[in-house]
Amino acid sequence: MATVTVKDFRNDVRPNWCPGCGDFSVQASIQRALASLGKQPHEVAVISGIGCSGRISGYINAYGFHGVHGRALPVAQGLKLANRDLTVIAAGGDGDGFAIGLNHFMHSVRRNMDVTYIVMDNHIYGLTKGQHSPTSAHGFTAKTTPTGNIENAVVPAQLALGAGIDFLAQGFSSDVNQLVSLIEQAIQHKGFSLVNVFSPCVTYNKVNTYDFFRENIVNLDNLDGYDSTSRVEAMKTVIETEGLCTGLIYRNDNRQDFEDQIPGYLTTPIAQQNLQLSPEIFAENLKEFA
Amino acid sequence: MEKLFMKGNEALAEGAIRAGCQLYFGYPITPSTEIIEYMAAHLSKRGGTFVQSESEVAAIYMVFGAAGSGQRVMTASSGLGISLMQEGLSYMAANELPAVLVDIMRTGPGLGGLGPTQGDYFQATKGGGHGDYHLIVLAPDSVQEMADLTATAFDLADGYRNPVMILADAVLGQMMEPVSFENIHVHTYEKPWATTGAKGRQRNLITSYNLQNETGEIKAIHLEHKYQAIQEQLQWAESYQTEDAEYLLVAYGTSARVCKGVVHALRATGVKVGLLRPIALWPFPTQVFQSYLDHVKGYLVVEMSAGQMIEDVRLAIQHQAPVSFYHRQGGMVPQQEEIVAQFNRVFLEGGHTS
Ligand SMILES: Cc1ncc(C[n+]2csc(CCOP(=O)(O)OP(=O)(O)O)c2C)c(N)n1
Ligand code: SF4
Repeated sequence: MATVTVKDFRNDVRPNWCPGCGDFSVQASIQRALASLGKQPHEVAVISGIGCSGRISGYINAYGFHGVHGRALPVAQGLKLANRDLTVIAAGGDGDGFAIGLNHFMHSVRRNMDVTYIVMDNHIYGLTKGQHSPTSAHGFTAKTTPTGNIENAVVPAQLALGAGIDFLAQGFSSDVNQLVSLIEQAIQHKGFSLVNVFSPCVTYNKVNTYDFFRENIVNLDNLDGYDSTSRVEAMKTVIETEGLCTGLIYRNDNRQDFEDQIPGYLTTPIAQQNLQLSPEIFAENLKEFA
Repeated sequence: MEKLFMKGNEALAEGAIRAGCQLYFGYPITPSTEIIEYMAAHLSKRGGTFVQSESEVAAIYMVFGAAGSGQRVMTASSGLGISLMQEGLSYMAANELPAVLVDIMRTGPGLGGLGPTQGDYFQATKGGGHGDYHLIVLAPDSVQEMADLTATAFDLADGYRNPVMILADAVLGQMMEPVSFENIHVHTYEKPWATTGAKGRQRNLITSYNLQNETGEIKAIHLEHKYQAIQEQLQWAESYQTEDAEYLLVAYGTSARVCKGVVHALRATGVKVGLLRPIALWPFPTQVFQSYLDHVKGYLVVEMSAGQMIEDVRLAIQHQAPVSFYHRQGGMVPQQEEIVAQFNRVFLEGGHTS
């Protein structure tokens, strides 16, 4: 089989994201990661929610599902169980994942199916034109917080660790090389993985800009001796940086994923099993009613 | 009378505040988002408050809680968001909690699109959630009515102790027209059932749980009688140039606006035609149709759906005259010339099929 390149994951749909939107880099990083892992487009499905970010499934040449606001993860899990050989990537925005979809996120982490979840976290609702999101900071002004947000922001990495995640990474749209590597590792990890990406909305978020993230992010790749196998260190780092850190935050490869624990679940994907009933088996089954 | 130039969604929100709505809970969704943004900008300056909830499910249950206290409360959404609220609406109907909810419809099924549609008629008028219940459903056709009917909705909700829905489309939500608020006033209703603190009286408990079938039936009959009373008392339609009409157009919302132009165009060619515009969609103004039954020769229903209200029209006229249909879907608005052509084809050139 010819080797795959990034081009194989491109299609001719032109993204209608605003020029400068962080989501362009996320799309490119997913495409590069898939190519460098040697995946074929037909081996991959990208399941996205609704939001500007949710459009990503339409821009990658793979199987896709442009979903329902907040429900990318349940759809992804249903698909994964039906065809366990597929590389299933769920993707969406911070509103999609941590507002309307938050309970699905917590339960997906806990369930630990082999699905990679990539969140484009811009701290705002982009598609509906600029309302605050669950990751918007206290005091943040947006169209529905004209005098400043009086709610506290969720810290996705903290939620993920709290729910017991085994693979947690964060990236930044400006650092594509790091992001590609994180997505590759996340896909290779057997079990649920989260890559939360700081992906600025240049149109509606004038606070959490590229410069803001550049100035405030702690890159764990540059921290000497950071131990990404320690859950305690991961939690401590996330709390100390108020969630504003990038790199591989935590990884544990010592737990089985959900699929491997399902009693009687075959290695042949359900989608590829021969469900044709032989006359002998049919006759055998009929005896029950005799 | 002082008039302001406003978007339909903003006029609706302002109408609600003037009718005494001090609490709003909702989740952004196009094409209803101006409502939540208006509430965010204005409620806190006028003694009220609002929350952008984490989902429509949370929003409707926040409405549920506030309505239980007897306060005037509202939410708004569009199509798919309204779908997520159905469980809560059923609970509110069961508990007889007054509140106003707004559906600025977007096309469906599924994610659909943002264009104008009337595809949620069935969901609004036939239930939508589980169990035997009804929402009162009002359908404005102008920016002025977006405000006025919303204010009326609060009175109907309190008067009948029932959730009331405003069903409008994206054209009405987004377009701008002059609007006056001078006729909107706060009316207060006694609410001895509300959970306002039980000092000096028996406690009030809001619940819809029936463990015994006998009490379940008593509760169901109570609701049935209430809905019957609403059906008798609230027969609400606009009759437009219908006095001498031999033919009637039937349409609501934006379709009705277009149909008024159709009435003018057809009358200019000598056809005696009028428009019956249901303002309350539930209860459907069946009785209003009665007075036309003996002399109207044909009906043309115009909708932005594959045909939903037409079923209620057929029931109302009991097959006493032909009922024809013109519709556009998927975000397309029926145009005046198309409707005129359909009318001519069906009634004047004798090509009726229905
Ligand atoms: C049930 C439902 N409610 C609301 C919406 C409207 N809506 C679409 S995307 C969105 C939020 C967008 O924010 P986010 O998920 O952070 O994605 P972004 O656009 O910022 O990428 C909302 C509220 C919807 N599509 N479905
Ligand atoms: S509105 Fe924001 S999130 Fe949406 S495409 Fe534009 S920059 Fe990106």
